[in-house]
Amino acid sequence: MGDRLALHAAGLVKSFGGRRAVDGVDLSVPSNMIYGVLGPNGAGKTTTLRMLLGIIDPDQGDRTVLGCQQPRDAGDRIGYLPEERGLYPAMKAREAIAFMGALRGLPWQLGRSRGAEMMEAAGLGHVVDEKIRKLSKGMAQLVQLLGSLVHQPDLLVLDEPFSGLDPVNQERLEKIVFAERDRGATVLFSTHVMAHAQRLCDRLAIINRGRRRFEGTVDDARSTLPMRAHLVPRDPDGVQTLLPPDAVEAAGGGFDFTVPPEGIEPVLARVIEGGHGVAGLSVERPSLHDAFVSIVGQDGREMHR
Amino acid sequence: MIGRFLRQTLVVARRDFVAIVFTPTFLIFLLAPLLMLGFGAIGGAGAARLAEGSVDRNRVVVIADAATGPRVTAADAGLRTVFRSEEAPPALEIRAPDADPLRQARALFDAGDIEVSAVLAGPIETPQILHGPRGDRSAAYLRQLAERVVLGERAGADGQIVTATLTEVQRSGATSSSRQAAGFFAVFAIFLVTLLLASQAVGMLAEERGNKVIEVLAAAVPLEAVFLGKLLGLFGVAILFIGFWGALGAQGIMLLPPELAVASALQPAIGLPMFALLFIVYFIMAFLILSAIFLGVGAQASTMREIQMLSLPITMLQLGMFALSAAAAGNPGAPIARVAELFPLSSPFAMAARAANDASLWPHLLAIAWQLLWVMIVIWLGARLFRVGVLKSGGGLSLPFRRKKPVAEPSS
Repeated sequence: MGDRLALHAAGLVKSFGGRRAVDGVDLSVPSNMIYGVLGPNGAGKTTTLRMLLGIIDPDQGDRTVLGCQQPRDAGDRIGYLPEERGLYPAMKAREAIAFMGALRGLPWQLGRSRGAEMMEAAGLGHVVDEKIRKLSKGMAQLVQLLGSLVHQPDLLVLDEPFSGLDPVNQERLEKIVFAERDRGATVLFSTHVMAHAQRLCDRLAIINRGRRRFEGTVDDARSTLPMRAHLVPRDPDGVQTLLPPDAVEAAGGGFDFTVPPEGIEPVLARVIEGGHGVAGLSVERPSLHDAFVSIVGQDGREMHR
Repeated sequence: MIGRFLRQTLVVARRDFVAIVFTPTFLIFLLAPLLMLGFGAIGGAGAARLAEGSVDRNRVVVIADAATGPRVTAADAGLRTVFRSEEAPPALEIRAPDADPLRQARALFDAGDIEVSAVLAGPIETPQILHGPRGDRSAAYLRQLAERVVLGERAGADGQIVTATLTEVQRSGATSSSRQAAGFFAVFAIFLVTLLLASQAVGMLAEERGNKVIEVLAAAVPLEAVFLGKLLGLFGVAILFIGFWGALGAQGIMLLPPELAVASALQPAIGLPMFALLFIVYFIMAFLILSAIFLGVGAQASTMREIQMLSLPITMLQLGMFALSAAAAGNPGAPIARVAELFPLSSPFAMAARAANDASLWPHLLAIAWQLLWVMIVIWLGARLFRVGVLKSGGGLSLPFRRKKPVAEPSS
């Protein structure tokens, strides 16, 4: 591809009727990565994506997509699956894919043949010539996804791609996303389902209330929270005084607590020196879900302060 | 850049054309004029039957003795050749006089079996003619009839006063009425076709909005391309429609006997081939201007109810343009004709009528240039309106097809 950044946005602002939906979002998406835009409902994810794609213009800020300041100039190299799925019900599935490809510059005939191949590969070979109105919602959603891929874009933008899909189709979609990155494309997707983000994202941004609250890798996000430990002493009597102050007694005589900044070793040393012994110990890194809740929750607390 | 824009426009146009034409409902649409004619014929036949019923019972009555009666009947037969059937006076009935012919005449107006509009009674040279409130023309006819009987008697045995030789002469040029007929035909035909086709543009976006396809389109291509594509797709449908009915009409005319050929009644001043060519050009202009307006206005509606509500003022606007242009066709050269020829929305209609009434070609070249300018202005405005309406993301008008230059890629 050659672009070091597939996409760059600085200070994007968009207001609707006096309400700021997006309030100065910055994003830098490196090429050939799976990049997640995470945020709760109404955070401004879809508006941000629409501005990045040139569907709407920002009130303020700049964006550069695949080296072009006007996203439409790179239009033929972009694939997009909107949050609100839309296909012509009277079109045949293969035609719908070819049509979406043709909008992006792919010849109809090539779009038709590629569409049929892609549907075959995605397990939809039996409905290639079915009209969209006869497909299930999940099938139609996959057809639309294939339509956004048929011209082999350099940048694939998926807005809440997993919503409405059953677990089987969710897994299919995850495979497609990985395959696109392996092909060399950059995948940018929005979601509020952390499990998908944790499995898929090379990097991610968390947006809340129209602002970017975090940017980094999944590990970076998880590292924003301290690790949690679960200690089971041989003699629990009086051990709580030796543990960090937030330690709470859990079932089975164990204690849950946050690993202090100096690490778990000093805690273990105090417990063993106190003669309580250690029957079991587990240390867990926080999940992306925990990090997300913490970042977004912190944002809410700041708002109410 | 232009090439890509054109390609995107054609993709949208192709989709819309196929989506409209390759459906069973298009067949109904294609045959709509036939249905309109059918309903018109049924309505006309019903009205004619009602009228006939009333005419059948209408009478003018002459109260005359056995000697005068046949002469009146003969004179009536001669006089009726002057009138077209629809303009002829009511049928004549001869009644034998009774003791008081005037009283008899008055009584006839109250008769239930016939509707009497006028009655002649008394001596034929000094008759009394009675008529109802709307029977003055019938009364005048009875007077003419009496005069003819009297003059016939004076002329002698054969009743002929003047011996005339009738010779039919063919005109070499078009008459004023045949030109005006061609003008009205042009205005009405363009109005009818644009009414059928252009007003469809109002609801063109309903499908995209209902199916949420508009965001897919807006993300992939400029909305100006979507707008032009839709216009072009609909234009393709219009050409198909015109082609179908044009070919069918031409075949139908060729099958008609010469005395019934419609074309013989239409004698445009500019000549039939040029008139046909200008008709097509002006139809295209009218279609593009009106469709662009309708598409832009229709984009402001988000529900079928709103689309239906918008359709009414649009149809009224079309009717207004039709009325203005029809007035122009009826008054060639009058100020109202000039206004209609200059006003962009009525110009295509009025100029088609002018082609029927005036042989000069140069006003058409000017008019086509003028209309082309307005086509571009209206399409540009329509596309802006379309963008604002579809995505509610307007923010002032900007020059069309404006693009910033790509900048150097940022580094991570």
